[in-house]
Amino acid sequence: MIADLVELRDEIRARKTTSRVAVDGYIQRIEKRDASLNAYHEVFVDEARAAAEIVDAKIAAGKPVGPLAGVPIAIKDNIVTRLGRTTCSSRILENYRSPFDATVIERLLAADAVLLGKTNLDEFAMGSSCENCAWGAVKNPWDESRVPGGSSGGSASAVAANLCAGALGSDTGGSIRQPASLCGVVGLKPTYGRVSRYGLVAFGSSLDQIGPITHSVRDAALLYQCMAGDDPHDSTCAPRPVEDVVTTLEETPRVFRVGLPAQYRTGNSPAVDQAVARAVDAFRALGATIVDIDLPLTDVGISTYYVIAPAEASSNLARFDGIRYGHRTKSKDAADLFDLYAQSRAEGFGKEVQRRIVLGTYVLSAGYYDAYYRRALQIRGLIKREFDAAFSKCDVILGPTAPTAAFPIGGMTDPLAMYMCDVYTVNTNIAGICGVSLPAGFDETTDRRLPVGVQLQAQAFEEPKLLKIARALERAIGGRATPTTVA
Amino acid sequence: MTASTRLQIAQTRLIVGLEIHIELATRSKMFTRTPNQAHPDYFEAAPNTLVDPVVAALPGTLPVINRRAIEMSMMVGLALNSEVAARSKWDRKNYFYPDLPKGYQISQYDQPLCVGGWFDLALPSGATKRIGIVRAHLEEDTGKLGHELPGGLPFDGSLVDLNRAGTPLLEVVTEPDFATAEEVVLFAQELRNLCRFLGVTEGIMQKGHMRFEPNVNLALTLVDGTEVRTPISEIKNLNSFRSVRGAIDYEVERQAKEWIATGREQGRGMKSTRGWDDEKMVTVLQREKEDAHDYRYFPDPDLVPVEVDAAWLAAVRSEMRELPWTRRDRYIAAGIGEKDLRQLMDLPSLCDFFDAAVDAAGGTSASAAVAKIVLNAGARRANESGKSVAQLGITPGQIAELVAMRESGSISAQGADQLFGLACESSDSVSEIATRAGLLVSNDQGQLEAWVDAAIAANAQAAEDVRAGKLAAIGRIVGSVVKAAGGSVDGKAAQAMIIKRLGGGP
Repeated sequence: MIADLVELRDEIRARKTTSRVAVDGYIQRIEKRDASLNAYHEVFVDEARAAAEIVDAKIAAGKPVGPLAGVPIAIKDNIVTRLGRTTCSSRILENYRSPFDATVIERLLAADAVLLGKTNLDEFAMGSSCENCAWGAVKNPWDESRVPGGSSGGSASAVAANLCAGALGSDTGGSIRQPASLCGVVGLKPTYGRVSRYGLVAFGSSLDQIGPITHSVRDAALLYQCMAGDDPHDSTCAPRPVEDVVTTLEETPRVFRVGLPAQYRTGNSPAVDQAVARAVDAFRALGATIVDIDLPLTDVGISTYYVIAPAEASSNLARFDGIRYGHRTKSKDAADLFDLYAQSRAEGFGKEVQRRIVLGTYVLSAGYYDAYYRRALQIRGLIKREFDAAFSKCDVILGPTAPTAAFPIGGMTDPLAMYMCDVYTVNTNIAGICGVSLPAGFDETTDRRLPVGVQLQAQAFEEPKLLKIARALERAIGGRATPTTVA
Repeated sequence: MTASTRLQIAQTRLIVGLEIHIELATRSKMFTRTPNQAHPDYFEAAPNTLVDPVVAALPGTLPVINRRAIEMSMMVGLALNSEVAARSKWDRKNYFYPDLPKGYQISQYDQPLCVGGWFDLALPSGATKRIGIVRAHLEEDTGKLGHELPGGLPFDGSLVDLNRAGTPLLEVVTEPDFATAEEVVLFAQELRNLCRFLGVTEGIMQKGHMRFEPNVNLALTLVDGTEVRTPISEIKNLNSFRSVRGAIDYEVERQAKEWIATGREQGRGMKSTRGWDDEKMVTVLQREKEDAHDYRYFPDPDLVPVEVDAAWLAAVRSEMRELPWTRRDRYIAAGIGEKDLRQLMDLPSLCDFFDAAVDAAGGTSASAAVAKIVLNAGARRANESGKSVAQLGITPGQIAELVAMRESGSISAQGADQLFGLACESSDSVSEIATRAGLLVSNDQGQLEAWVDAAIAANAQAAEDVRAGKLAAIGRIVGSVVKAAGGSVDGKAAQAMIIKRLGGGP
């Protein structure tokens, strides 16, 4: 079994290995595997080695080091870094370099992490398969003919193939959890306002959260704890202290209730239902109470999401206009200012991004605002209340992360069918609560067995409880598995 | 309606509502810590030097509210009798333009910071007219587009300067309560005065610190008694009182003519936007229909609503500086004359310095004496040096000393003026400075007699006239004495001695 981030960190600290050796190991594996996986946009070969040596020197000199000492981490390429480019997998930002680091990057670096590279994603985080990428789709390391999920598919694929110790993703409607599920790794979407969005290239500002994609629940807890907390650069960040989730992680609650929503049981593949059933059994064995709950608004989540997220995106992406930075058309046909905008954006944005900008512009237009956007906000309020009621009956909600295991690349052509991949994850974002996906079994009906995850959701700011219960489940159902193709 | 009946306008009534954009002089911009060009320390900043990742709308940046801009806006709202909303929110106004880096402007659409209110406008007739305030909300200014390089060199293309982008902008909207251009201009001037006295803007019109947008139309009463209204035009971006007056006057003519020609009346989709040509003194059509633009307003998800509780409101209220009209009344009651009053009320910093000097001089009763010194010796030097009186170097305490010495007759008027100049360069007490400079009035009667006799001898004709009862001629002789004696003789004492020596007068 491959080492998780905490294990590697402990070995580096104990001088059983060095950060430099770890970095070299990942770089070697990336060189071997990533030509086909396409998980990385850019690998910071020299910079990562140099950073590793600095941490190693600190440790050798007996100086204090941070909780991520020497650990190589991959960053989704919609989180800005001074190092390298930040492209969002879009031609419009092909050569964009950020003059500042995102708050989460500053915090990782303050914890002595090593930035290993930037990972591929669906353009501007819009997608559930990592096929909407300006420079090629990402592949699932369990079966390279299949998608890794999206939009943080590059990060999930890199973690699953052991091409980094851990990774950051972003989750607007499931973009951390769904690829984690499809790649057999752990993905945590923190409560809205728990992790600073400063430096995350905005997609749906009221939904976006940065979170970890990792080998284990304890890795997710550690990365989360290093990143969480208020930030003067982000007014939507919650001004509340961050609890210690790392040292309390193994303390399984003595009594807890697991909610099973009636609405999470239809339309799933048998393997997904089996994974959930397995988790239910495990929880029963742990002494948890299983309660049936009702989330009747589950199926309106997708339509609500596809009003709110594109509306915000249409405005957030207006800054990519070819004026100050980014792609500007070279066409001589751009006769006036409007043409300059239209052609630059038509050339720079991919089809799915254009689709969502058009959709978002439409729902905010005069005469349609009330019918779509205002109504979506009203439903958003109802969904929040629905979760509040559910959490009065249970501590966590258990269900599938995605309806199926990884599907074939090019196999899902209908955008609406693709949107349904997020049916179990979007409402977490709409309500602003937290959720985690962890591996819970396999789909053995396919050529190669494919991992299947389950999702636990908890009330806003209940990460400590969510992570403890997730850790208990992880212990109970066997923990990490490795794709057979990982050398 | 036929053209002939259209010509039958019996009476024309002007209707104007006003929108005013005020650039707040906060230290930093509305949504980031980068300095604000509307703050005096940054007036002269070179193009694109007041820019950070937030201003340039780089990917990943987020806005953070400038609390001071909210407080300044609350002050204006309170002075205009508005209700400061317990909760107001931020919205995005979406449109593309190169001077708008984010592709949207952060503004307040349906829940503004200040709601309602009024302003009692004093008219020249002595009457008061109450102008209704609809709202006042905060937003951010845009950058500027130029077509010349710095220094006026030609450039083939457009240039963007983002220094102004993100400057806090307070937009005040009035009811359509103005009936003349005169009223609009008066109000505009009063509002500028108010904002300057509150210290929320420098209010320099040439720098665009205040920009006015009148919404103008006419109510026409026809000979048959019916009333029709012309379509409203909004005149954008007027930054002088002259242009406000000119634009409204022009619209009165234009709209009446256009109604006669087209018969078009106020109604949905009829509102137009016009610009002002300052050289030709005409308004120019910019956009025909008000709904040509769909700004797709929606709540900005990057910002949290502004919540103003009673404690914050009270703190801001207690911090508010004296309102200009209260101040004016106070000065009038203290016996400040019309000319001095006008000079004082033109400059908030001068008023503050004046008040401090009056306090140091023992209070209100010293107002007239302090005004004499501050507004003559002080204002003249301030004018010459391009500084404010407060920046000249003389302290309110030194002014108080000057006033006391002048009252007691221990220095002359000319000596006081010289001492003012010396006190600007020294922090010593004025009496020490006066002693050092020999500006104390001499009590030596013999010496005074000698100066007077010499002056009479040198001005024989004037002396003859005074003897003959033409007292006006005495000025020459007094002047001659003062000239000979420097500051050490008091003009009044010299005059008394001259009269005594010439044996004339009362």
